Amino acid sequence: MTIKAPFELEKLSNDEYILNMGPQHPSTHGVLRIVLKLDGEVVKDLYADVGYIHSSVEKMCENKKYEMIMPYTDRLDYLSAVNYNWGYVLAVEKLMGIVVPERAEYIRVMLAELNRIMSHLLWYSAYGMDVGALTPIMYAFREREEVIDIIEGMTGGRLTHNAFRFGGFKNDLPKDFMERLQKFIGHFNDKIDEYEALLINNIILTARTKGVGILSKEKAINYGVTGPSLRGSNCAVDLRKTAPYSIYEKFDFKVCVGKNGDTWDRLKVRMDEMRESTKILKQAMEGIQAGEIMAKVPKIIKPAIGEVYTKVESARGEFGVYLVSDGSDKPYRIKFRSPSFSNLSVLREISIGSKIADVVAIMGSLDLVIPEIDR
Amino acid sequence: MNFTEVLEKLKAKNEVLESKDEMGVLNVWVSAKTIKNVITFLKNDMQFDQLSFVTAVDLMINNHIEMVYRLFSYETKTEIVIKVKLDRVRPEIETISDIFSTANWHERETSEMFGVKFINHPDPNRLLLPDGVDMPLRKDFKSDDMIPLPKV
Repeated sequence: MTIKAPFELEKLSNDEYILNMGPQHPSTHGVLRIVLKLDGEVVKDLYADVGYIHSSVEKMCENKKYEMIMPYTDRLDYLSAVNYNWGYVLAVEKLMGIVVPERAEYIRVMLAELNRIMSHLLWYSAYGMDVGALTPIMYAFREREEVIDIIEGMTGGRLTHNAFRFGGFKNDLPKDFMERLQKFIGHFNDKIDEYEALLINNIILTARTKGVGILSKEKAINYGVTGPSLRGSNCAVDLRKTAPYSIYEKFDFKVCVGKNGDTWDRLKVRMDEMRESTKILKQAMEGIQAGEIMAKVPKIIKPAIGEVYTKVESARGEFGVYLVSDGSDKPYRIKFRSPSFSNLSVLREISIGSKIADVVAIMGSLDLVIPEIDR
Repeated sequence: MNFTEVLEKLKAKNEVLESKDEMGVLNVWVSAKTIKNVITFLKNDMQFDQLSFVTAVDLMINNHIEMVYRLFSYETKTEIVIKVKLDRVRPEIETISDIFSTANWHERETSEMFGVKFINHPDPNRLLLPDGVDMPLRKDFKSDDMIPLPKV
């Protein structure tokens, strides 16, 4: 593989030099290469080189039956796998006109929100380490372990759950689920306060992140940035509210937004979102009724000819599945619109002019997961 | 804004080849020459401010590569799909990355996956694939690595 020089070397002035960051770099959380053009410590230009772990998921899906694709969607984003299952399941259900029973919808919502908390906790820990705080991970992983244990009891998997089925959910909730969830919700809000005191409101972190990497609302929308990174720029777009899927209309929660669109705002939005997820979980626990967990679905999945696009709010933003069916048991074309793909493309725009150490802080605040960029 | 209103407004200013209702979403086919005008019109005059994605579909039977642009409006909560049929042998279309910055990477991906050439693209390098793999998402793609599993 030949690596093209992203900047023409002869265009460098005497003070400028090129620094290669990655593909193996702790702050990129995966295999991502960033080439920086620097003048002293100031970033003059930046080039993101992706594709190191491209696995042709879309091509593989074209050669698999609909039921066999589910595990691939898990592995796009191993940190909030359920939301990716959901996007795919929704597309097929919409195309086939399957109505999911209410109990299954509640289980899905609960699992997705637990997943969101789990993903944000990992982001919080990793972000702390990115900027040089090694303690937060000890605190956050204590609760994350608790969440993962609950999910493991529910689905059998700890990271890639593969728990959704067309028309419902794999299995009913285990007997001790409500008790464990109750216990978790009971003390989690206090823990979030603890996390905020430990890292987010820490005077050193605030000094490093406030006013750094400012992303304006217009620029964010133009670059297709979604999720917490967009909401940090004071744009109240949350697909659970603005284009509700499943039963999200039933829940009372607010869309968390930031004020200035700087790095700190993006961090704060994620912390607030965990509180809102707890709220949704509490309401789901009260609202869930006994009933069926699977709709009547044909044995062989063969959607009618047509195409559909469904989107869900994953922990990182809008995850969409564009599915073209030719009436056979395999999809004709499937396209995953992954949030980190668009979120990373804005990095160049918001990093230019900042210091090299800030690039790490900015990149962490976008919460990237590389397998979903490369697919 | 509803379905017919959008279509009427679009037809008044632009040339529309064909239109279709696909699961409640307006799909519009336009010609490759007018794509830039259509997207600019949709963004500036119709408040479609988000470009969800750009991709293509290989319609091998009709000898077409079909470009798919999906736009969404945060203001009016409407969706629209713009499609362009390109010649499969030499697919060429003007870039829209100066209108929507997000199109830059999406077009680079489409370009390497389907062999579509984007005219005036600011950075026409490969994005995801290594050299030597060309147009893998076309239906007639063959590779030595694609070995079917033995039948059990």
